[in-house]
Amino acid sequence: MTRQQRRVHALVWPVLAVLMAALIAASLSARSQINGRAPIVAEEAA
Amino acid sequence: MSHGYRIVQWNPFKTRFDRVLLAGLGAFLIAYVIAGHVLRTPDARPAEIQLLIGAFGGAAFAMLTFILAIGPLARLSPRFAPLLYNRRHLGVACFGLALVHAGLVLLWYHGFSEINPLVSLLTSNPRYTSIGGFPFESLGLIALVILFLMAATSHDFWNAVLGPRLWKAIHMSVYAAYVLLVGHVMLGAVQGEKGLGIASATAIAAASLSVLHILAGRIAMRADAAIADTEPDGWLRVGEALAIADGRAIIVVPDEGERIAVFRDGDRIFAVANACRHQGGPLGEGRIIDGCIVCPWHGFQYQPQNGCSPPPYAEKIPTYDTRIEAGVVFVNPEPNAPGTPAIPSVIQRAVTA
Repeated sequence: MTRQQRRVHALVWPVLAVLMAALIAASLSARSQINGRAPIVAEEAA
Repeated sequence: MSHGYRIVQWNPFKTRFDRVLLAGLGAFLIAYVIAGHVLRTPDARPAEIQLLIGAFGGAAFAMLTFILAIGPLARLSPRFAPLLYNRRHLGVACFGLALVHAGLVLLWYHGFSEINPLVSLLTSNPRYTSIGGFPFESLGLIALVILFLMAATSHDFWNAVLGPRLWKAIHMSVYAAYVLLVGHVMLGAVQGEKGLGIASATAIAAASLSVLHILAGRIAMRADAAIADTEPDGWLRVGEALAIADGRAIIVVPDEGERIAVFRDGDRIFAVANACRHQGGPLGEGRIIDGCIVCPWHGFQYQPQNGCSPPPYAEKIPTYDTRIEAGVVFVNPEPNAPGTPAIPSVIQRAVTA
């Protein structure tokens, strides 16, 4: 890899890691909200 | 290498690798379907086609995670470098799995209406502001398009046509595809799952991959910061000539520009650009075999005296001028044009009576 590509790579991955962590957290939060509701409401939400 | 065009340049290693790959994929798909039957009660068991959708999607995601782990693993330890050799086959297989997954989804969920299945997929759920009900299929579709572009341009022909820099930039979009797929799984399959199996597997995969890449990135940046000592005339001090193992190289980092690989071949010292013309592999981590520098990633070869690939190949890399003073090697950080012959420096050994 070129020096520029190494620099981009080193900068991009921490950002991607935060992005994926946020996605996973938001998804689990939404999932727990749906699972906490009555089945008919959960079905509608899904 | 660049000579001629063949879809796959088969050799015994690639054949063995692909057989193992196919066997592994078959085992994964069968195990997924069997687990889907065994772990669920009959009333909660999905249709066969739904199990297959999950199996192909899961296999594609697992394979992409593995593919993306190969690069940093190879930078952390050369033991993983052989996996780089056949990464293209893994990438194309991953796209194939994702395509089957998408095809089955279109067939099962959108194939029975009068609307075009693709239009139905993109318009049936417009809840883009919801997290729990997000139309996760669109994320998967964008990722599939990226995987297609990568599979379609994976051949060395496209590397030669587009140039290594542009080609690499296009192929780095796979990182975006991976994030999209994490979103696709977390906002899709995970929302409808009773347990946390898929969520845990996805989170572990994403976290492991992130740690690997961040670690490899830090090591690379640290290496780039270790700039070689500069002489008053601007040349860089490499070190004792005899400290370079025969057939091997020392990698030197200039203040600006690319790393330089300084090779020793017997009593002769050569310097060439460290980045392979093919995919930027670290030539300085390779060695000289039969008079040619061999890239540790894909086996591309260069003659150390001029940076040219041996005939009939046409790749060229920059060379650098070297000199030896009192047994110490120095290299001029100004590169010669790719393919320019550079006179090797010769190690003068003390003559004993």
